[in-house]
Amino acid sequence: MPALGTAGFGIRTFYAATHPNDKCGANGLPLTPNSVKILGRFQFLKTLSHPRLCQYLDISKTKHECMLVVSEHHSSSLKELIKKEGSIGESEIVRVGYQLLEGLCYLHNNGVVHRNLSVEHVLLDVEKNVKLSEHGLYYMTDYGADVSFPIGLPRYMAPEVLCSGPVRVDEETGHCVQPLSGPKSDVWAFGLILLQLVLGKEIWARLGIKETLHKIVEMIKSDMSPIDIFQQDATVASKLQGTSRELRDVLRLCLTVSAAKRAKSSELKQHPLFRDERMKAVPHKEEVRMCTTELRCKDLELPTYEETIENEFSDDHLSRRSMSEVFYLWRLAGGDLEAVLRKAGLAKTRRPVHLLPCYGIVDGEVFGQDRDFAELLDFTVVPLSQEQLRYRLRDVPATAYYPLLEEESKVVETQSLPTSPSSGELTSSASLPLVIREKDVEYQFHRIILYERLLAAYPFKRPCIWREARVDIPPLVRANVWAAILEVEGDVEGMYDSIDKETPTTTDRQIEVDIPRCHQYHELLSSPSAHAKFKRVLKAWVLSNQQYVYWQGLDSLCAPFLALSFNNEALAFACLSAFIPKYLHKFFLRDNSAVIQEYLAVFSHLIAFHDPELSNHLDGIGFIPDLYAIPWFLTMYAHVFPLHKIVHLWDTLLLGNSSFPLCIGVSILQQLRDRLLSFGFNECILLFSDMPEIDIERCVQDSIKIFCSTPKSATYRQHARPNKKKTSEDRPNLSYYSRDYHDQPQSELSMEPIPIDELKGEKCCRISAEDLIELGELAGAAYSRSPTKKRQTSKPMILIVDVRSPEDFRRGTLQDSINIPFQTAFSPEGDLNPCSAVQTLNSRRNQVIIVVGNRGRNAANFANELVRLGYSRVCVLHKGLDVFRTTGLITVPPADI
Amino acid sequence: MPHSVEKDFSYVFHTKSTKSTLKVAVTVPLRTSVKEFVARLVQAHNLPCFAVQDLEEKLEEFVNRENCSLQDKNAEDAIKKVKDGEINADDLVNQWLPAYTEELKLYSKPYEPSKDEKFAEVYHSLIHSPALETLLNLEHEYSLGVERLIKDRDRDLQHLQEKQRKEMDEALANVGTVYRDEDINLLAQRQFENSQTVESKWVSELSALHEQQKAEYREWVHRVHEDSQGNTTLPTYVQRLRSMSNALPDAEEEEREAPITRLEESFTIHLGAQMKTTHNLRLLCTDILELCRHKPHTVGGVVIPQPQRLQTAMSLYSHSLCGVVMLVDSRLNTYTGSKQKFALVCDSSTDFHFPSLERQLQVIEQQLPLAAEIKAQKRLMRGEEADQVSLNSSSSSGSASNEDKEKGGERRLHSGDFYLTKHSNLSEVHTVFHVVADDNLRTSDITSRHPVILAIRNIIKLSFRYDIHTLTVPLLLTHEMTEEMTISWCMKRAELMFKCVKGFMIEMATYSSQESRTIQFLVPSGLSEELFHQISNMIPTIFRLSNPLVVKSS
Repeated sequence: MPALGTAGFGIRTFYAATHPNDKCGANGLPLTPNSVKILGRFQFLKTLSHPRLCQYLDISKTKHECMLVVSEHHSSSLKELIKKEGSIGESEIVRVGYQLLEGLCYLHNNGVVHRNLSVEHVLLDVEKNVKLSEHGLYYMTDYGADVSFPIGLPRYMAPEVLCSGPVRVDEETGHCVQPLSGPKSDVWAFGLILLQLVLGKEIWARLGIKETLHKIVEMIKSDMSPIDIFQQDATVASKLQGTSRELRDVLRLCLTVSAAKRAKSSELKQHPLFRDERMKAVPHKEEVRMCTTELRCKDLELPTYEETIENEFSDDHLSRRSMSEVFYLWRLAGGDLEAVLRKAGLAKTRRPVHLLPCYGIVDGEVFGQDRDFAELLDFTVVPLSQEQLRYRLRDVPATAYYPLLEEESKVVETQSLPTSPSSGELTSSASLPLVIREKDVEYQFHRIILYERLLAAYPFKRPCIWREARVDIPPLVRANVWAAILEVEGDVEGMYDSIDKETPTTTDRQIEVDIPRCHQYHELLSSPSAHAKFKRVLKAWVLSNQQYVYWQGLDSLCAPFLALSFNNEALAFACLSAFIPKYLHKFFLRDNSAVIQEYLAVFSHLIAFHDPELSNHLDGIGFIPDLYAIPWFLTMYAHVFPLHKIVHLWDTLLLGNSSFPLCIGVSILQQLRDRLLSFGFNECILLFSDMPEIDIERCVQDSIKIFCSTPKSATYRQHARPNKKKTSEDRPNLSYYSRDYHDQPQSELSMEPIPIDELKGEKCCRISAEDLIELGELAGAAYSRSPTKKRQTSKPMILIVDVRSPEDFRRGTLQDSINIPFQTAFSPEGDLNPCSAVQTLNSRRNQVIIVVGNRGRNAANFANELVRLGYSRVCVLHKGLDVFRTTGLITVPPADI
Repeated sequence: MPHSVEKDFSYVFHTKSTKSTLKVAVTVPLRTSVKEFVARLVQAHNLPCFAVQDLEEKLEEFVNRENCSLQDKNAEDAIKKVKDGEINADDLVNQWLPAYTEELKLYSKPYEPSKDEKFAEVYHSLIHSPALETLLNLEHEYSLGVERLIKDRDRDLQHLQEKQRKEMDEALANVGTVYRDEDINLLAQRQFENSQTVESKWVSELSALHEQQKAEYREWVHRVHEDSQGNTTLPTYVQRLRSMSNALPDAEEEEREAPITRLEESFTIHLGAQMKTTHNLRLLCTDILELCRHKPHTVGGVVIPQPQRLQTAMSLYSHSLCGVVMLVDSRLNTYTGSKQKFALVCDSSTDFHFPSLERQLQVIEQQLPLAAEIKAQKRLMRGEEADQVSLNSSSSSGSASNEDKEKGGERRLHSGDFYLTKHSNLSEVHTVFHVVADDNLRTSDITSRHPVILAIRNIIKLSFRYDIHTLTVPLLLTHEMTEEMTISWCMKRAELMFKCVKGFMIEMATYSSQESRTIQFLVPSGLSEELFHQISNMIPTIFRLSNPLVVKSS
């Protein structure tokens, strides 16, 4: 994306054509509105960046199929130049002509035909450089099929365009019936523009449409060259005589009726006329994408000292930021497109009460409605003032535009924000809720600049990115930050290109059925362009993971990545490919029941661990996780929430390890706790059939809390991703937070696979001996991996309950443990028999209760009973006390008092 | 003139001693990138990696060349047709003309707002200014004038009726003595003509008053608007009227109480699986005309306009209209039943903005032939399909269409059709959808494909299109309770309607904005309170209510 420079932003509107009443497409679903189609096709135009083009920035649709397009804008145009200065010298004509060709060649190489070229649509920046505008209209409207107005002014209509007649839309496919206009129709218009520059006035200025079209018809029918027809006018002839032979030759090459004989734009660029211009021209360098194997330093020329001085002396630092970034900030600074239009008097529509039809029949056809004049195409471009943005950023010091990324050793946790005079203010805004931070222009400004620098240094700066992401991720850079967190690297595009996404496969049908049901409220994702991309990414994933199959839900998983990296399918695919093994290892096996059953069993344990009352209630009514939680985990909540909530959830989820999603599940249940407790089975089913609104920020905070208060081994799953061989040193071992259990070194004190039936039979999670040693500080308050224990000074946060017989207990047990023998613990009513140990148990209810027994089932059963009685945070020592035999931690308890 | 063409591409590469040739058919233009296509070729033909880059270049060149020649060929074909006269150039120009003049502002005639629309702009700006009160008071004054005339009319007509009855009684008593049978007939005829004349005199008087008031009012509004444009300070008339309204006496005790309390219950609901939109539902039990009629409203004994009136006036030209669905029979007039009552309500004050109801119906009637044509076309298309399926049913449908024609019935309204009238002088309503319903609505077994339900779908669709944010729908599809409408009938009907409306709203909200809307479900005033609560209890089971706040005991 080019830098802002001296450019302004402009907004224009047009209306998409409406579909006939209740028409359905070939798949039986209602037709996609044309506005949505345009929205999807437009996205590609954003990727076209060239110094001779007005950069497209944004599109949105408002009520009633009205489209708002934002692009770079300059206030003067070729039309004004001609009006003001009349004929300009030939060297100037050649310069403008060559710049026009540069723009056209770039478009044509990218498969875009302008079709809308005219002197009005050639803008000039302050240095009189050419900027083509409106070049995407023909492309984004599916070559005119999605709008009811013709594209291009009659005067510039190439002969073949005129001969094909106005666009007719095929009823079945919704595409244009006639052959599409080729790049050569732009060459004709280019010729006309050149001719007008030579003449110093507009041709056929006073003719109506009919006369203009007849003029072109005349040229078509005549055997003379159009340029000779023009020369029949004496003034034209004399003007042309005054120009060089080469210029006349170019004109003749452009203004040729026969398209086959007309020159191509690339050929014209090589014409001798432009010899000098070609020498002067600076080749345009394509922007490099985040993950690429191309050399980023290729043809890098370090600026000389003088140049640097010259550039740096400009005070307008904002103008050096990219346009998309400035436009993003413009929005945050209170920029409102519709308000701008209203102020300019452009959004003025007729009163709805006057437009109403007066009669309708049962088929849905209506009669007597009026057409709104506002729907007609208006070429007016309303400039967007940057004043407000600049005012909001007036106090930002120049240094804030170029933050230093300190050496890692010097960075202290708290100094994660750039140091600037206003950073005190920034850290205070950092504590505000996320939704407010995302709307704060100054905060976002700092964050974006910081991230942009970090991303430019990716993968080198990955630890920094990781650390910043724990604060928040600005929406503008989210796609790339996610990719960085997911450790996407290497030749992403090459990989993606090498997968055959075209050949039909057996899963195609299912994919095609699922896509039109996936996040379709999202305008971008509901467009046909998005559907095509969806299909390609999903097929690519299925093909490149032969051991897995397509399960419904994969589409939902893909949606957030595709929505973020819409113009970079390869990146979306790479992210998806990195995400699935991390969180959904083996979930997409043809027979995934073992994996899912284990996941759900661990989830039930976690509910019981944190909320025994809810767990008892849900178990009591038989509302087991199998009934509601499978789509949660299979799609990592992407099927459950709307996209704007998923991104916030995933911002945190991506930083967590593979058991973090379980904690999210518990936090969702906690938000609905009151209702769930009062509901019976049927009401619960009904509640989850249509997920109620969830406060996502609270959900994220709660799940972090839950995660931090869960012993790591409690969420052990044998089907989680096995330990990766490569220990990635570039990712900081910031905390326990990000590490997977499987990534830790294993010993005989660690967890080991438990048969699924056993797992399901128990209500409580098991904890490994390792975790017990750590939590209980049995090996001293040494290096700790667990966040459960926060303050070094506080008492141990666990209570060890030895449920073996008193004889065994006296023979040796763990330090500080209490003894409640299982055999005698419970009264016939099921309550705990009161004794001093039970009193201790009751007085320390906030602590993690670890039930320790022999290898038998006594400990598990005891724990089940505790849960039934409403004790929270109960877990069972895996493998019983015997596991400590070799550790020397078993001591003889002090004698009973 | 094809959009794409298949061409043979051949590629030659050498390895040490062998020369290999690859020949494939390539569809131009390529649907994917060249790189991807080459990757496929490499996979399919097991090509060596050293050939890849060269292959990419060659293929790119090939595709560009073929693409260009395809486009050139298409262009040449199009030009040739015109050159050879196969396509008439004048026809072509005439095709282009409307494309430009009807779709581009640059070439079309600038839009000239009608008189009504100019008035609308002025009115809308005034009603959102301090002049608001004045406007409403003036409207109110006018409506009192109409009321007086209507009272006079009713008295006069009653008087006439009485007189005629007396005459007739007397005549009948003396049949055979003073009067002959023929005399009676004559008398009846004379009386009838007499009352016709009187009635039409009143009708014309009333419409004359409406016209006069409307003209006066509009002129006044325009004048006030001009005045207010001139000076920025509050014009004197506003001050005057301000003081007048300030001087209103305090409301008396009994006036403070709401005049009639109607049974109603409101719900806030969420629609949608992932993205939720919030809407409001209201169940209310009242007569449909109560939503239209202005209720007498007095403060301190002075009759003043109702507060609802203010809301309706301010939103008349806004993007938030109120509509109501009314069920009518298939005749486009106002002579009988609820239609007549509705017409009386409409005529009870002057509509300063829209034509009279009668005039609006005339305009609607003009649309009927057009609609009939479309219907016939659709029937023809459907008919063709249906004929192939079942030949035997064609006889019955044929007779039915004949019947229609005999009545000149192609112009008739059918069940599920609706017409729409606009009003500025009703209490809580801007537009009324008159849905044509037939008697089979009373039976219990109607489905979601019933024409009236389809009409409701069409109306909800229109509401989304034309910014009607509040729509009132008769929940039981009836305006009056009758004997056969048992509790189970009502519950069944209510459930069907709730579910259908929910479906329609989800359907319409798919591609439209996130605006929230209000749907009011109306049940007839004859409904028992118990049944009302049963129906309102059904709403939470069908719609997802927004998260309730659960009160905790602690």
